Amino acid sequence: MTDKDRKGEGKAAAGDDFEPVIVGFFCNWCTASAADLAGTSRMQYPPNVRPIRVMCTGSVDTSFVLRALLEGADGVMVGGCHPGDCHYVTGNYRARRRLTGVIKILEALALDPERFRFEWISASEGAKFVKVVTEFTEDIKRMGPSPLKGL
Amino acid sequence: METIPYFPGCTCKADALPFEVSAKAVMRELDIEMREWERWTCCGTVYSMTTDDLIHQLGPARNLIRVQEEGSDRVVTICSMCYSTLKLSAMMFDADEEKLQKLNDFLYDEVDYEGGIRVMHILELLRDDVGFEAVKERVVRPLEGLRVAPYYGCTLVRPTEAGIDDREEPRVMHDLLEALGAEVVDSPFKVECCGSYETVDRPEMVAEKCHRILSDAIKRGADLVVTSCPLCEFNLDDRQDVISSIAPRFPGIPVLYFTSLMAIAFDLPEEEWGLESATVDPLPVLQEKVLAPKDEGGG
Amino acid sequence: MPRIGVFVCHCGLNIAATVDIAKVIDRVSQHPAVAHAEDYIFMCSDPGQLLVQGKIQELGLDGLVMANCSPTLHERTFRNAAALVGLNPYLVEIANIREAVSWPHMKEPERATEKAIEIILATVEKVRQNTELHTIKVPVTHSVMIIGGGVAGIQAALDCADAGLEVHLVERTSSIGGMMASLSETFPTLDCPQCILTPKMTQAGKHPNIRIHAYSEIEEVSGFVGNFQAKVRHKATYIDWSKCTGCGVCMTVCPTKKIPSEYNHGMANRTAAYIPFPQAVPNRAVIDDKNCLWLLKGKCGICAKKCPAEAIHYEDNTEIEELEIGAIIVATGMEVLPVEHFGEYGLGKIPDVVTGIQFERLLAPSGPTAGKVQRPSDGTEPKEIAFLQCIGSRDPANYKPYCSKVCCMYTGKQAMLYKHAVHDGQAFVFYIDIRSDGKGYEEFIQRAMEEEKVLYIRGKVSKVFEDEGKIVVWGTDTLTGKWIELRVDMVVLATAAVASSGVNELASKLRITTDEHGWLKEAHLKLQPVETLTAGIYLAGAAQFVKDISDTVAQASGAAAKAIALLSKDHLERVPIIACVDQDLCVGCGYCETFCAYGAIAVDPVTGKAEVNEGLCEGCGGCAAHCPSGAATLTNYGKKQVFDMITTFTNGQVVQ
Repeated sequence: MTDKDRKGEGKAAAGDDFEPVIVGFFCNWCTASAADLAGTSRMQYPPNVRPIRVMCTGSVDTSFVLRALLEGADGVMVGGCHPGDCHYVTGNYRARRRLTGVIKILEALALDPERFRFEWISASEGAKFVKVVTEFTEDIKRMGPSPLKGL
Repeated sequence: METIPYFPGCTCKADALPFEVSAKAVMRELDIEMREWERWTCCGTVYSMTTDDLIHQLGPARNLIRVQEEGSDRVVTICSMCYSTLKLSAMMFDADEEKLQKLNDFLYDEVDYEGGIRVMHILELLRDDVGFEAVKERVVRPLEGLRVAPYYGCTLVRPTEAGIDDREEPRVMHDLLEALGAEVVDSPFKVECCGSYETVDRPEMVAEKCHRILSDAIKRGADLVVTSCPLCEFNLDDRQDVISSIAPRFPGIPVLYFTSLMAIAFDLPEEEWGLESATVDPLPVLQEKVLAPKDEGGG
Repeated sequence: MPRIGVFVCHCGLNIAATVDIAKVIDRVSQHPAVAHAEDYIFMCSDPGQLLVQGKIQELGLDGLVMANCSPTLHERTFRNAAALVGLNPYLVEIANIREAVSWPHMKEPERATEKAIEIILATVEKVRQNTELHTIKVPVTHSVMIIGGGVAGIQAALDCADAGLEVHLVERTSSIGGMMASLSETFPTLDCPQCILTPKMTQAGKHPNIRIHAYSEIEEVSGFVGNFQAKVRHKATYIDWSKCTGCGVCMTVCPTKKIPSEYNHGMANRTAAYIPFPQAVPNRAVIDDKNCLWLLKGKCGICAKKCPAEAIHYEDNTEIEELEIGAIIVATGMEVLPVEHFGEYGLGKIPDVVTGIQFERLLAPSGPTAGKVQRPSDGTEPKEIAFLQCIGSRDPANYKPYCSKVCCMYTGKQAMLYKHAVHDGQAFVFYIDIRSDGKGYEEFIQRAMEEEKVLYIRGKVSKVFEDEGKIVVWGTDTLTGKWIELRVDMVVLATAAVASSGVNELASKLRITTDEHGWLKEAHLKLQPVETLTAGIYLAGAAQFVKDISDTVAQASGAAAKAIALLSKDHLERVPIIACVDQDLCVGCGYCETFCAYGAIAVDPVTGKAEVNEGLCEGCGGCAAHCPSGAATLTNYGKKQVFDMITTFTNGQVVQ
């Protein structure tokens, strides 16, 4: 069985056993550290989010988010520093402005914009990281598999 | 003439009716019609601080809906207590969408309240819209030589976020009285508590508080005290008989609404002065200082 | 085909108890780019590192994925280990399977194992496309600019200058000395600033390596760590300082005498031509153009006639000087909350209600009353004084939530000095808690209470007002639960400390940040309290948060040590993960310029293509995401690399 088959199996049907694939882009200075803190504190959360550490949410290209969704990810999450706290001064503001445009594109693609989430999570907010990831996973489960899956 | 929805509240239709009479008259002179709408209800009297006590907000909310129906985005009150209750309620619904939703769900027989109504006290309207310069221009009988101590009480300036002025050193009545030509007596007790509703159960306690407030104004040379709140007026004025029983040498001092002094300074007909609510007669001092013909006026 | 080695750490049982290591090795080995996969109980241990190094050499691996804990812990360990055996350290990447997998998913071992495998494979996709990078070397300028000439700035300047660095000490008033120069005596040893600060001021003034830019402000700062360019504005003094001898004749003849003295915090007046205080360094006069009659109305001119040095000429002599700077220390200090607050305490309305710093001037032998305690209103000696602590501090609803830290100590000191000056006087101190947590501090407060008989009342004051020449203080005594009314002659308010005015503007010029209250933000509250997040800029003293003199001086020396260490070499080394621009793809639109917060990327006017300044780029990657033509990329974070990581997560594996 190839990896692709294996995944397809798990993800084909909606319902209780549907485990969404979520790609997370986490800022190195805050959200990625919050994830480390959650881990170190042994806080438990669903393993659906696949993390990609980026230097700044300002480096998250619109195409990263779209690529993930077009390839069948059920949700995409971006986590950055709180307003005013960006390690690179203004990267998070720029990211928010740029990624707000993603929502319009998702609407045009008839994808629920709720499949994309942008959150401010500081390095000390391990608990918030867990809460956001848990809620987002549950929300996506409720929405069911992405209609773009398998296209 | 500009019209603005006016919320009277209970007291201004009963004991404090003269306040309303003088307020409406002076605003008319300043080209503003305070128009009372038909179905106003109780303001709620005391703003409920309990967060889950939304039922207490129905009174103010219904009034805000009425203002919305009047097609206005603001409403003016003259009673400080009504001002505070309506203001805090309006602020709460503007800040909390969930509560607004809950309210609208509950008040299914009303149109939805959309928020965004600005609740104003008449002093705010005078300061920010009319301007004290315009008030000064309208004065025909300046209150020269009359020494007036303004008393602000609590709800006009507290809590800070709903106050119309600095909570410790308010200026608005000071500036208004100066525009009328009066000499302002500044008392440190201008924002001290008058005893409020305790007047019902513990008149002696209220008298004690009012005694301190009034004595200080007298000591600093005030001829009279003005206020903007019917409850303050009641405590400071009507409770002077209790003060006399606990402090026999207390000389007494008249307490008026600030609008009465405006009406006098504007030289409006006597029936619009609104002095009827005063228990301690203000006429002697007004006669002596203001109403008697001035020497240089050719009299 | 690349030859990637994957090394999976058990971390004892931390990873191995949840993640099925054997399954991971099995699956990862199937990836065509993986030449070798191996596990070990503690990969970070010496034998673990030796194992990795051995495999690199034995199998000729050209990339490593280390599957273990968070990169913040051992990325550097494994990169160094690889470098030692000749593998470029930037070809080593961490796959975090502990903090991100085994620990938060303890109850779901199967899914955790799947997640670990995918993270490792995604990292394989990234590392196989990494390029070799080399540390960037940047030359440095061996000079330090210190902003603020209070005790923090002076201490930092002396330390840096003694280490051989060239120091530019920039002070916005006409003399260094800062807040400390205005104090009467200092707790807990009661030395006067004339005894302990003035020598340091003189030393700074005479040091061959220190140049004091008094009456100057920062206009602009550009550049980067080791190579800043600063424009300093020397404000108009209207007096030629090369001729001025500081004789003070201009002060004695100047007819405009009613200007509240900044040095005396309004407790005395000064003239329009003035030297702020006798011990000023530099000892030079300036003319205050907001008050000088000649400058305002063209009348007077007496100082020019009387000046024996002929130093006065009423022309705007503003000058902007450009400086080359290697490191910057910000020591802008603190102020107290402005007087327009505190209506409830009568401040600004009742002349005998003063702030703590104003009372310092009334106690100081160098002050307007020559150390005699007198009421500002009528000059009489106050027989009873109430000191109110926490005015505006620890009051989140109205003013500042924080504790202003120095007030407990200086209030105790002031009460004590008052008792020394007025033997039959009574001092009352209203306090919430006494915070005396320094060396000798608690003993000092105990002395005030027990030996000097200062009466401490635990409780807050609600109102202060004037009544028949006395000041009435209403408060509570929370120990007895009683309401208190005191009638005193003077009230001293320990008002909240706040950051210096203008610090927000300065911070944005320096590209550093302030917190919600305007205090400058350190890189890490506990572990990097002296650094800012901008490399090469350090903090000293109360600019970061309220500090007493001991802490200020300690931090100033700390900041100086950081600057000295930074500038101890001829070159700085920087992490080479920065942006780069594909010159063939760049169309020169300049969109990247608008994004970059550091001015590190700009379109070259000659070539018409964007170019990255290696010294300035901090490596955030924002320009790459912003670039419409895809020309800008962040080294080793290329678009294709991220795409392949995404594909690993969505499809299990990248189809080659």
